[in-house]
Parts: sequence; structure tokens; C-alpha cells
Amino acid sequence: MTAEQGTDRGADVRWALLTGGVKGVGKKYSQDRWAARATADGRAVVLTVADGHGSAAHFRSDLGARWAVEEFTACAEAFAHEAVRVGADAAGWPELRAEARLLPQAVGHRWHRRARFHDSSAPARGASPAQRAAAHRRARGRGTPDLAAYGSTLLGAVLTEHTLMCWQLGDGDIVLVDDGGVPHTPLSSGPDMGDETDSLCEPEPWRKTRTHWQPITGGPPPAVLLSTDGLSKSFADHQGFLDFATGVRERAAGQGVAAVQGQLGDWLARAAKYSGDDTTLVGAFGARYDTSDATGGHEPHE
Amino acid sequence: MASRPVHFIWLLDCSGSMSVNGKIGQLNFAIREAIPEMQQAADSNPAASLLVRAISFASGASWHVSEPTPVSSFSWEDVHTYGGTDMGAAFKLAAGALQTPPMPQRALPPVLALASDGQPTDDWRAGLRAIDGTPWGKRAVRVAVAIGDDADKSMLKEFLANPELEPLQAKNPRQLAAAIRWMSTAVVKDASTPKVEDAKPATPLGPPLTKVEGEADIW
Repeated sequence: MTAEQGTDRGADVRWALLTGGVKGVGKKYSQDRWAARATADGRAVVLTVADGHGSAAHFRSDLGARWAVEEFTACAEAFAHEAVRVGADAAGWPELRAEARLLPQAVGHRWHRRARFHDSSAPARGASPAQRAAAHRRARGRGTPDLAAYGSTLLGAVLTEHTLMCWQLGDGDIVLVDDGGVPHTPLSSGPDMGDETDSLCEPEPWRKTRTHWQPITGGPPPAVLLSTDGLSKSFADHQGFLDFATGVRERAAGQGVAAVQGQLGDWLARAAKYSGDDTTLVGAFGARYDTSDATGGHEPHE
Repeated sequence: MASRPVHFIWLLDCSGSMSVNGKIGQLNFAIREAIPEMQQAADSNPAASLLVRAISFASGASWHVSEPTPVSSFSWEDVHTYGGTDMGAAFKLAAGALQTPPMPQRALPPVLALASDGQPTDDWRAGLRAIDGTPWGKRAVRVAVAIGDDADKSMLKEFLANPELEPLQAKNPRQLAAAIRWMSTAVVKDASTPKVEDAKPATPLGPPLTKVEGEADIW
């Protein structure tokens, strides 16, 4: 996993990144993985979180989540460079959008290749005979390798001065908080019931990946927060979760992202006590860079 | 912030045949004895709040415990036999409880635990369709115990909705107690296990209900 904190300067927007993750109560180790980094000379940011399913049937999901983050980051960085190159030229957006739609397929293929390779190299690691037998039965039934052991969700975003692109496979939340403090969840598929989720371990997972595209034509980019489901499921209702997201953005604007980063671990640990799940949040806060401000600074200003 | 509820619903056969050879008494005893272990299982998972209730069915069906009761304050009052085996009516009653509302959207999958010793005497398929027609019903973790040889095991298997699973079989009081204990604990833990969408229900396999030497099958 990678994470960069602090600020990165682009031509016109500065980015401040927020990252944090805690292990679920009673778990030996966390199956969440994440990355948040600036790319394209600081003119874009890539955010991603992945939640390995973590139960006995998904006994290698820590690996699955790690590969999800690595493969998404690799693909998203290439996309981010292209998005920066296109910039505000709306004529280039249709092609950019087409490329964005293909990204889940690229990530899915790369993830499946790694999982299949690992499974063929070490088919028995950690699996009980009963688990192996069940996996073989499932594989025979559908004629494709059973990669359930590696199952993971994947959420990702690429944010530039002019465009925002988000992808989501499985549960978890992407919240955009605009300049007025209003939260939006563009990829929400309604309330999650139980703990069912779409997963990278399914055949052709890109078919279930949801995508959101948003040009940024005026004002600062929205705050972008990605979290695994351990966070939203710790709240009594969805509105409580949205209020939390709004609060994070308000505190970042008022106290600075570094101050929020200092408190984030405690907030997530408290949430994990209620959801029982690994809980991870990454975020990006962008602010227009005032070119007349020769002294710069370490925090974005809005 | 708040932990998520797990709704556990007993579906108990109270037909006349359950009074033969003390089955109903052993069922009451087994459930009562399993409560402390159920409470322990709930304590070990602070992220879930276990809420228990029960339906009895014979000639018709009714709520034996109608309020979802926190397991910490749950106590058992005996059920009694009173007629046929209207399992379909019990399913319909459960289906009503599995609608959203009254079930919250933010919850862990409910558990439906069925115990029966005979053949349903009403349209149980219609009742099962009603359960499957609710958002939580089709996500429910389902377990079933067949008490004695006369239980309709193929019907119970259909209730489980997973061709890889079989109903538990209890042919004597010890096996019934083991089955009820397992249904009360292991299944509760499984209900909070993540599932890949479209996968078959991942209800855990039951305990091996082997025969102890010298033990007779009395049912």
C-alpha cells in the first residue's frame, strides 16, 4: 500500500491527501488495502481502497485486496496522465470517457492473471481439505478457475483540475462533498442488505463495475472520500454516514487536512468497534491555487 | 454509531406427533439449554446485536415470542402441541416479519431455524415463496433439523435452498440437543460472514450427529 500525506502542487490546484485504516475488532489482521498518491507532476491524484472479504471462504483475500490496489493504481496513473493532457479541452472528453470505461476491464484482467498464477503456484496454502474440495466442485460446475479465496472489492478515483472519474465494484462508499458542504454518492446502489457484495473474484468483474464521470467546470473540485463498508456500516443510518463525510470535509477546510489526519485513526477505530469490520478511508481535497500567493503554503485554501 | 442487528427466528413444529416419545419436551429442553451458549456467541461478536423470537405451528401458526428480544434477556417458555403441521402458515408469518419494514435495511442476514418431525399439512410451497419474495428472506441463513424418521427431509432440503446442504437429523434427545445448540451458535456467527453476491448461501455444514455407543434411536 502507498500513501502520501500533505500537499502536492499542480499548475492550478493543490491536493491534500488523507489516509487511514484500522483492523476490525477481534481480527488477526486487516484485509483492507489502500493507496492515495499524487501523479502527473502533482496535477492529478489517484485514490483507491480494496476490501478483502476476509472470511474462511476467502482465506487469501488480503492478497486479493493488495493486488486490486496495485493493479488499479498502475492503470489509473496512466489514465490520470491522459486526463491531465486532455485538461479542459472538452473535445477530448469523449475519448477520455471511453478510456475510463475500459479501465475496469484492464484492472480485472490483470487481477485475474495474478490470482490464477498464484493459485496455480500455491494451490493448497492455507486451505483445508474441505475448502479445496469445495473449490474444485465450484470450478468444475462453471468451467472457470475458482478465485473466491482471493475475493476483494475495489473502489477507485482519479481527480484532476478538470475531471473526476470514479469506479466501484462491490460494497464500500464514494462520497463527493461539494464546495457548499453537500454530500453526493454518485455510485450508490441503494442500501446494502447484509454483507453481500460484488467481487473481483467473479468472472468478468468489470461487468459489475459502476462508473461515474464528472467534469469540473467551475469552483474547486469536490472533496473525494473513498471508504470500505466497515465505515458506513458503523452508523445507525445512512444520513449519519453522510454527516460524517461532510464533517470531515468541513474540518479539513477549517482546521487543515493535517489536523484531520491526526484524528482520523481514532475516528476509524471507534467506527470499527460498531461495524466489527476493517475500516479504511482515503480522501483528496483540492483547492484552486492562487498564483498571486508567492509564498505558497502547506495546506490548501478555499 | 450502532452495531447491526441479527434477527434469529425459531420455526417450531408443534404438531400432535411432537408429543410422541417426548419430542416436544426435549425440544423445549434443548432450546432452553442452548440459550447461555447463544448469549456467549453473541457476546463474542460485539458488532452484532442478536435478537430472538419464535413461531410455533400446528393447526395454523402463531408467534410464540413476537417481539425481537435481545438474547441477553431472552428466556424460554415451553411450546405445546396442538394439531396439524401447517408449516406454510409459519413461513408466511415469518415472511411478514422479513419485509422491510419492519426489518431494517441496515442489518446482518437473519437466521431462520426450522425444527419439524413430520409432513406439512398445508401449502408450504406458497409459504416458502413468500419468504423468498422478501429481500431478507432470500438472504437469510437457513438451517433445519428433522426430528425422527417421519420428517419430510426433501421438503426441509428445499427450505435450505442450497443443494450442497442437508437438514440435520436427530433421532434421539442427545442429537436433538446437539443440533439445537449448533443452530443457536455456529449459525449466528456465520450470519455475520461476508458473502460474494450471487454465490450460493454459505450456511455452514452442521455438526456430525454421530451415534454414541449403546444409544438407541427412539424417534
